[in-house]
Amino acid sequence: MKYAFYLGCLIPARELGYEASVRKVLPALGVELVEMEGTNCCAPFSIQSLDHATWLALAARNLCIAEEMGLDVLTLCNDCYESLLMVNTILKENPAAKKQVNKILSEVSKEYKGTTEVKHMVDVLYDDVGVDRIKNAISEPFTGLKVATQPGCHLTKPKRIHFEAIRGFEALDELVRATGAEPVYYDRKEMCCGGPLRGINDELARQVSRLKLIEMKNAGVECIVTVCPFCFVQLDLGQLEVKRYFKEEYNLPVLHFAELLRMAMGMKLEDWEIRSHRIPLSQVLKDRL
Amino acid sequence: MLEQPAVLVIGGGISGIQASLDLASRGIKVYLVEKSPSIGGRMAQLDKTFPTMDCSMCILAPKMIDCSHHPNVQMLTYSEVKEVKGSVGNFVVKVLKKPRYVDETKCTGCGICAEHCPAEVPNEFDENLGMRKAIYMPFPQAVPRVMTVDKENCLECGLCEKVCDLKAVDLGQQPEEVELNVGAIIVATGFDVFDSSEIPVYGYGRYKDVITALELERLLCASGPTGGHLIRPSDGKIPKSIAFIHCVGSRDRREWIGNAYCSSICCKYAVKDAVLAREHVPDARISLFYIDLRAFGRGFQEFVNRAKTEYGIRFVRSNPGEVIENPKTKSLTLWFEDTATRRIESLNFDLVVLCPALIPRGGAKELAKTLGIEVDKYGFFKPHDAIANPVDTTVPGIFASGYCLGPKTGDIPDSIMQGSATAARVAEVLAGGG
Amino acid sequence: MSSLKPDFMHEVANTQRGKGVLICIQCGRCSSSCPVARLTTEHNPRRLMEMIILGLRSEVLPTQLPWYCLSCFTCLDRCPQGGDVGETMFAIRNLAAREGNVPDGVVTQARSLFDTGRVVNPTRMALVKREKLGMGKGQSTGVEDIRKILKRTAFDKIIGRR
Repeated sequence: MKYAFYLGCLIPARELGYEASVRKVLPALGVELVEMEGTNCCAPFSIQSLDHATWLALAARNLCIAEEMGLDVLTLCNDCYESLLMVNTILKENPAAKKQVNKILSEVSKEYKGTTEVKHMVDVLYDDVGVDRIKNAISEPFTGLKVATQPGCHLTKPKRIHFEAIRGFEALDELVRATGAEPVYYDRKEMCCGGPLRGINDELARQVSRLKLIEMKNAGVECIVTVCPFCFVQLDLGQLEVKRYFKEEYNLPVLHFAELLRMAMGMKLEDWEIRSHRIPLSQVLKDRL
Repeated sequence: MLEQPAVLVIGGGISGIQASLDLASRGIKVYLVEKSPSIGGRMAQLDKTFPTMDCSMCILAPKMIDCSHHPNVQMLTYSEVKEVKGSVGNFVVKVLKKPRYVDETKCTGCGICAEHCPAEVPNEFDENLGMRKAIYMPFPQAVPRVMTVDKENCLECGLCEKVCDLKAVDLGQQPEEVELNVGAIIVATGFDVFDSSEIPVYGYGRYKDVITALELERLLCASGPTGGHLIRPSDGKIPKSIAFIHCVGSRDRREWIGNAYCSSICCKYAVKDAVLAREHVPDARISLFYIDLRAFGRGFQEFVNRAKTEYGIRFVRSNPGEVIENPKTKSLTLWFEDTATRRIESLNFDLVVLCPALIPRGGAKELAKTLGIEVDKYGFFKPHDAIANPVDTTVPGIFASGYCLGPKTGDIPDSIMQGSATAARVAEVLAGGG
Repeated sequence: MSSLKPDFMHEVANTQRGKGVLICIQCGRCSSSCPVARLTTEHNPRRLMEMIILGLRSEVLPTQLPWYCLSCFTCLDRCPQGGDVGETMFAIRNLAAREGNVPDGVVTQARSLFDTGRVVNPTRMALVKREKLGMGKGQSTGVEDIRKILKRTAFDKIIGRR
C-alpha cells in the first residue's frame, strides 16, 4: 500500500503533532507514504469561492503530480479531501471541464489524465488496512473511554460523492472501536465544527462550535477525536474561546485520531505533542501520557 | 362462461375484499389469499376515516364478515402464492398454507390459550407499540376468528394445547400446498410504510416520542395498545403539543432515498389525525409542517379550512431540519424556518408524528416475478395502459387494484372503486370478453 | 424598490456550480438545517435561492449572506429535490468576487496563495522545530507554476495582485 502523501497547508504550518503521529502510525500498519514535491494549496472553499477555473486548475495540478508518481493520493485534512476528490470526480465525469483545465495546465507543462484516486486517511485505514489488522496492532486499548467522534463535514458530505467512499460515520466509528474506545452517539454529530468561518466571522464560528460542544457534553463523552486539522482547532482552541466568551467549560480534550491510534499501539506521545493540545490531555489520559 | 370460472384474489385488504364480494355476489367463485392471519389490511389499523369520520373498523368489519360467510368466497388466510402457471382463462396456482398450529374448523377464538401463553412479543398489528402472545389473534375483530401460533417465538411449552377444551390447538400441523385452477387473478397487496430511520435527523428509532402516523392511528384507536388514549410512548403522559411532519421520504429525489413521488394520501390523513388529536386533547398545541398542502377532492379543502378556524390547528409551510430531544425536559425540539414569516424558529413538542412515504408491500417484487407482471422503478405494479386500462396489469388475465398500483390511487373510496373495477374486468374476461 | 433582474436566475444557473437554483421549491428544509442560519439572520440558504429566483441581484451580491456559509453541504445533502444549494452558494460567491465583494479574511488567504503557493505557511519557529524533531524540511511548493496558473485564470485581478 503506497500512497502519494499530500499534506496540505495547515498541517505543516500548525499541526505538526498530527503529521508526526501519522508518520509513525501508517508505516507501522503497512502504508508507505511517498512525499509529494512541488505541490500547492488544494484550493479549499475560500479559494474555490473566488473563481471556479482557478479551483479546478490548482487542485488538478496536485492530482497531476500524483499521476506522474503513479500513485493514489492520501490526505489528512477534510478540506483537502473535499477539494481534490470533487475536482477528480468532476474532471473524470465532465470532458468539457477536463479540456478547460488541461488548457490552463498546459502553461505549466502538466496534463490531467484521470488515473489517480483521492483517499482520506480514514478511507485508507478502513478499506485498505482494515479494522482487523488495526485490532491486531493494538497493545494498549482504550477500554471504556467514551469518545465523541467528529467526522467533519467533508468526510461524509456531499453524500452523492461520498456514497462509495465512506459509508456515513460508520467507518470512523469502527476505527475508533478498534482502539478499544467507545464512540458515543451525540446529537448534531453531522454538524460542521464552524471552522470555515474562522477569519471571516469569529463570533459565528465560536457559536457553531459551541452548539456541538453542548451536545457532546450532553451525551456524556470524555474526549473528542477528530480527523481534520480545522475541526481540531475549532474544538480544541475553540473550547478556550467558548470558555472566554460564553463562560462555559466543557473540559473535553481533543485528539487527532492518529494520536489515539498511536497510543493504543503502545507508543507514547512526546512532551511537545502533549503540550500542543490546548485542553490538557492529562484530564482524561493521565496514565497514558 | 369459460371452463374455469373461479378467480384468485391476492391480498385481503379493503380493495381485495371489495373485489371478492363483487365477484361472489354475481355467482363467481373467489379464492381470497391473505398473507397474514386475518383479512382487513391497513384499513383495520385505522381509527377514523375522512371524510365521514366514521370508525374505520365499523365500515370494514361488515365487509369482512360478508367475505367469511359468503358461499362463493373461500378464504385462505396465513397463506402465500408460490407459483403461477398458465394463462388467462386457465391459471394453475400453487398456494402454500402456512401452519397456524390451530384447527380452523374447531377454534372459536375464545382466547383462553393466549391468556396462558408465557411468550410475549411486540404486536405487528399495533406497529410494535403493544404486545401480543405467541398464540394470538392479531386484533379483536379478526376474520377468520381463530388463533394463530407464531412458531418463531413459541416456547413450545404446550400450555395452549392443554388448556383448550375444544382441542383446537395442533402443534404438529404441517404446511399444506393447495393447487387452484382459476380463470383470472386480482392482486391487491397494498402498501408498507417507509422506514423513517433512514432520515436520521428526525430521530425516529432514537426517540420514543417520534412516531409514524400509522403508529398514531393505533394510539388513537380504542382497540389499540393504549385503549384509545393518546399518550406519549416514552412516559405515558398526555402530549400537550403535537407536531406533524409531512413528506418524510416522499417527494425525495435524493438517490439514497429515491421515492420521488408524492404518496398522495398523507396530507389528507395528517389533517384528519390533527383534528382527531384535537378531540383527544382539546388544549393541545398542534402544528402541521408541510411543503405543499395537497387538499384535492370532495370536501377536503373545506376540511382544511375548518381545521384552521374551528380546530385551531397551526399550518406551517416549512420542511423542518432537525428534531432533538432535550435531555432535561424530555420534550422534542423542532427546528424549522417558517417560509411565510421567513423566521427560523425552534419549538418544543411533546409528540412528533411523521408522515412517511408509502412504499410497495414487502414481498411485492417477488410476487410480481411469480405472476410475471411488470413493476415500475419503485416496485409498484405497472398497469397495462396508465390511461385506458388502469387496472389491467401487463399480463392478460391478471388485474391489480389499490395502493399496490402506486400512489396515484388515492384513499379508501378509491381502493374500493378499483376493487369493483377489477371485479368487473374479471367478469368480462370470464364471460369471454377481453 | 431597486430594479429586479429577471434573468439573474439563468445567469446563476449557467455557471458551473449554480444549476441547482432551477429546481428549488422553497420548501425550507435547507434553512431549517443550516447551523449558521440559526445563529444569524444575515445568512439563509433558502432566502438566497429565493432572491436569485426573484432576480434580486444587487440585493444579494454585495451582502455577507454568501460569505457566512460554512460550505458544510448540509443543505445540499438534505434538499429533497437533490438541488445543489451548497453549490449555488459557491456560484454566488464567484459572481460576488467578480464584483469586488470578498471578505478581508479570504483576501488575505488568496494573497498568500499568490505569493507563496499556500494559504497559510509555517512560521520560522515551526520550520526550526521540524528540523529539530527530525521531520525534515517538509514538502516543497511549486510557487512559480502556481503564479502562472493564477495569472492565466485572472485570479490575480480578483484579489488585487498583479
